[in-house]
Amino acid sequence: MKRVILPLILFILVVLEGVAIEFLPRFLVGNGFLVTPHWVLVTLLLITTFYDLKDTYHSVVYGLIFGLLVDIVYTGTLGVYMFTYAVITYAIHGLMKVLHSNFFVAILVVAVGVALADLTIYAIYLVVGITDMVWQDYLTARMIPTVILNLIFLIVFYPLLVKLLVYLKGEHHSKNN
Amino acid sequence: MSFFRKKRLFILLIGIIVLVALIGYSLSNRGNLTTAEQFINDSVGVAQRVIHKPIDFITNIFGNIDDIKNTYSENRLLREKLAEYKGLVYEVQEIKEENEELREIVEKTESIRDFNPIQATVTARSPERWVEQITINKGSQAGVKPNMAVITANGMVGKIQSTSPFTSTVQLLTGFDQFNRISATVSREEESDIFGLVEEYDKETDSLLFKIIEESEKDLEEGELVVSSGLGGVFPAGLVIGEVKEVIPDQYGLTRTALVKPAANFYEIDNVIVVDRVLPGVEEEEQ
Repeated sequence: MKRVILPLILFILVVLEGVAIEFLPRFLVGNGFLVTPHWVLVTLLLITTFYDLKDTYHSVVYGLIFGLLVDIVYTGTLGVYMFTYAVITYAIHGLMKVLHSNFFVAILVVAVGVALADLTIYAIYLVVGITDMVWQDYLTARMIPTVILNLIFLIVFYPLLVKLLVYLKGEHHSKNN
Repeated sequence: MSFFRKKRLFILLIGIIVLVALIGYSLSNRGNLTTAEQFINDSVGVAQRVIHKPIDFITNIFGNIDDIKNTYSENRLLREKLAEYKGLVYEVQEIKEENEELREIVEKTESIRDFNPIQATVTARSPERWVEQITINKGSQAGVKPNMAVITANGMVGKIQSTSPFTSTVQLLTGFDQFNRISATVSREEESDIFGLVEEYDKETDSLLFKIIEESEKDLEEGELVVSSGLGGVFPAGLVIGEVKEVIPDQYGLTRTALVKPAANFYEIDNVIVVDRVLPGVEEEEQ
């Protein structure tokens, strides 16, 4: 049962992202802002920060699986989210070797991670031709609001998620040793 | 150490190759989704339906509060309109009957206006804002097929992009590019109608571009209604697309383009109707 908690949470987040546009405040959705919820990625980054050990890569594997899920269900262009989520999570995983796990590191990691991920997605979509936004517009209309929205999500769900992750870490990894 | 670096680089390169292959595969104009994708879409669709119920309930409460604020002024306006409609309804009924009689005389019962409606509810909207796509709770089991038009009470919102057995995805008009054209027309009472193609959505002006093919003697005016003409062979005729906002010459100055304000609101879509055209289109007849 405890093994499926993390995949289940990530799955629920994938589903919730689909209704996010409906319950986000109207002025964020219209008005030319392109706020994109990356809640799965935020949770993945928390998993890297608080759950994964130095030599376990659960978050990267989850990134591959749930990135692909987002691709299939919401965009129809396979591989973009899968690649981005996995690579960003892996990079942050490497970074965690020099950083401690605490609240401020989590904020820093999520801000950098979401910004980089969104930039990667923008770059891929620009090359493929799904978007033709110039990068100045992209910065103000999409990247900055997106990072802020996801930081708000992080701050709201941080206590709950981190408590769970730390608990699960103790349970899972002590069993293995 | 250098071995590990090489391995890491190797994995990254393989990842990029897989990425390019997957993107290439999914952009290659494939007609249908693979079985695995359909299965995943349907399973996520079930969860979306469950989660959508309470969220819908909450957003509706806020919507209702907003509605109550405007009730009085709206009510007055609607009463005036209602009086106008009474006369109109009678007239339409007469014309419909006459039309049917005439059709029977010429033995042509099918019309490009006829369609079977399939009612559906929106369960999700893509969080990726560049992909203008929503998910509805009816799929190929209910008779939904790719390329069918999707409308709301206000007007056309998009077309079916892909179907799974129990869900399907709708591409919104805001996500239309040059490859998704709608043949449209502006109906005139006396002069000849204006025909053209609604080609793509212009994000800067928030309007659809209606490229005029056949000009009428009289110029297009602001506020004129653009409806689908049914000539493209995919959508039925008479679906409201939007109102003319402005007319501008195109980049070569040879034809003119009308900016059309879509009739439907793309951010508040709850219930939609999938339009199943009765008269088969050209493509279907060939099959």
